[in-house]
Amino acid sequence: MAARTRLPLLFPKNLPPFRNQRLAHTEAAVKEPAYPPIIPSLTAKSKSARGRQVDEQTFARNADTWYQHFTKTAYIPGLPEKYTLSPGGRPGERRSSRPLLRPQCRGKQEQTVGPFLRNLVTGLSFSLAKYNPLFLSSSLDIDPNVHFYWRRGQTIIPKGHRRGRQEPTRFQIDDRPNSQIRITEQLPQFISLEDSYAAEVQEVTLSPSVMPLFRRQYDNNMFTGAKLPDPACYGHTQFHLVPDRYHRDRMARLQQSDQVEVFLRANALTSLFAWTGAQAMYQGFWNHEDVTRPFVSQAVITDGKFFSFFCYQLNTVALSVETDANNPRKNLLWGTESLRLYDSVQDGEVVGLNDDVLKLLVQFLMNKQ
Amino acid sequence: MPVTRVLYPLYQLGNPQLRIFRPNWFLTLVRPGKEQPPDTVQFRTPMEMTKCDIKNYLENIYNVPVGAVRTRIQFGSNKKRNHRNQKIKQPDYKVAYVQLAQGQTFSFPDVFPEKDKTPEEGSMEEMEQKFMEDEKQRQKLDPRRGGVTEWFGL
Repeated sequence: MAARTRLPLLFPKNLPPFRNQRLAHTEAAVKEPAYPPIIPSLTAKSKSARGRQVDEQTFARNADTWYQHFTKTAYIPGLPEKYTLSPGGRPGERRSSRPLLRPQCRGKQEQTVGPFLRNLVTGLSFSLAKYNPLFLSSSLDIDPNVHFYWRRGQTIIPKGHRRGRQEPTRFQIDDRPNSQIRITEQLPQFISLEDSYAAEVQEVTLSPSVMPLFRRQYDNNMFTGAKLPDPACYGHTQFHLVPDRYHRDRMARLQQSDQVEVFLRANALTSLFAWTGAQAMYQGFWNHEDVTRPFVSQAVITDGKFFSFFCYQLNTVALSVETDANNPRKNLLWGTESLRLYDSVQDGEVVGLNDDVLKLLVQFLMNKQ
Repeated sequence: MPVTRVLYPLYQLGNPQLRIFRPNWFLTLVRPGKEQPPDTVQFRTPMEMTKCDIKNYLENIYNVPVGAVRTRIQFGSNKKRNHRNQKIKQPDYKVAYVQLAQGQTFSFPDVFPEKDKTPEEGSMEEMEQKFMEDEKQRQKLDPRRGGVTEWFGL
């Protein structure tokens, strides 16, 4: 196309002179207008909006007993025999501060404690790789998605064209831990499969819809954080943050301090069941093909000041009605109450650091084949 | 709380000095249609009452420890029609599910328990009942005829 040689007919007469010249001195004064970024809507029903929405699990009051029934998991207070929480160091003792651990529990959890926890995990797993050869070929996920889908129990459809028929109740967990470590070999079992027969799980006969435990399901999927050809398909440890809604201070303000531990247990139970179950599914185990060996994962939940430690052993995934009959196996969850890492921070100095929590954290990460 | 102009009764000499102000809201305790956990209580509440309102109402007036409140709005049926074939709308209402704190439980009471219907010995009712039973027995057809009417036959 030929270049335009003539001026257009509607040529504006009052153009500024030297419009092609750049004025070096005045340019700095011109400021780009600062517009807010254009982001997709939070509420729209679109893919981009879906990316902005947070899949936070919902937890009701006393959710842990409900989840124990739906996942057929028995909760055992305390940790397996492998771990020892030495009662020597009390949090009241004054100890020296460490530069690595100076979390500030101000403002939003995600912005303050999240990066701290991420740094802690990366630093610890890097420095422990000398002692734990599993970490040499491990992979660390930051903000991974974990999904699990299973069926348990039956309902009779109340209305619609399929009214009156029996239908299995479907469950879906969409979880998003802060970070997680995946390894290439499986962790050893805490106790044998047969030892889980004696554990007792509380039965819940009510429908899960009477409590706000699960969100409405749009698509059912399972995902451990590992794409299929990834050799690091077994779980080691997950790290979770306590969301702002369930923070200890907020619960105390609402006079619901008794729900703090309940929430931690429920969170650990759902997340670990979802993650471990998804790992088992990746190895080809499902309802009608129950696991031949136990699957094991661990989790640490923290709000920067308090740490809770959980271990999960998946003994069965045959949970649906047709396979659950005469199945004596039960899944097991061990967990501690939350342990205080330090008392307070005064003038940049950590007061009353509890070393046992750190020792236990290191022990958790040193778990190997 | 809806802002309404309140007309207080004129103070007459000798009336009590103390007045108790209460919101003009009424919660109806209902029996849950679907089985609920033992710590959950179901209410029908006015439409404009919020979760916080319900919590404050129960805690301050009735001293009930409230853990969590969930609400939903029940759509009243719009299916019925009157004799002129116009649609009749049942009013909507708000349903509140209140979870009690401090480990308290609630089960809806049996307001109308089944009464024992056996009449007293030697009373008029007993005699009446006995007479009715006898009369019924007498009027029954002969079972040997297999349900064939009385006037038919040899």
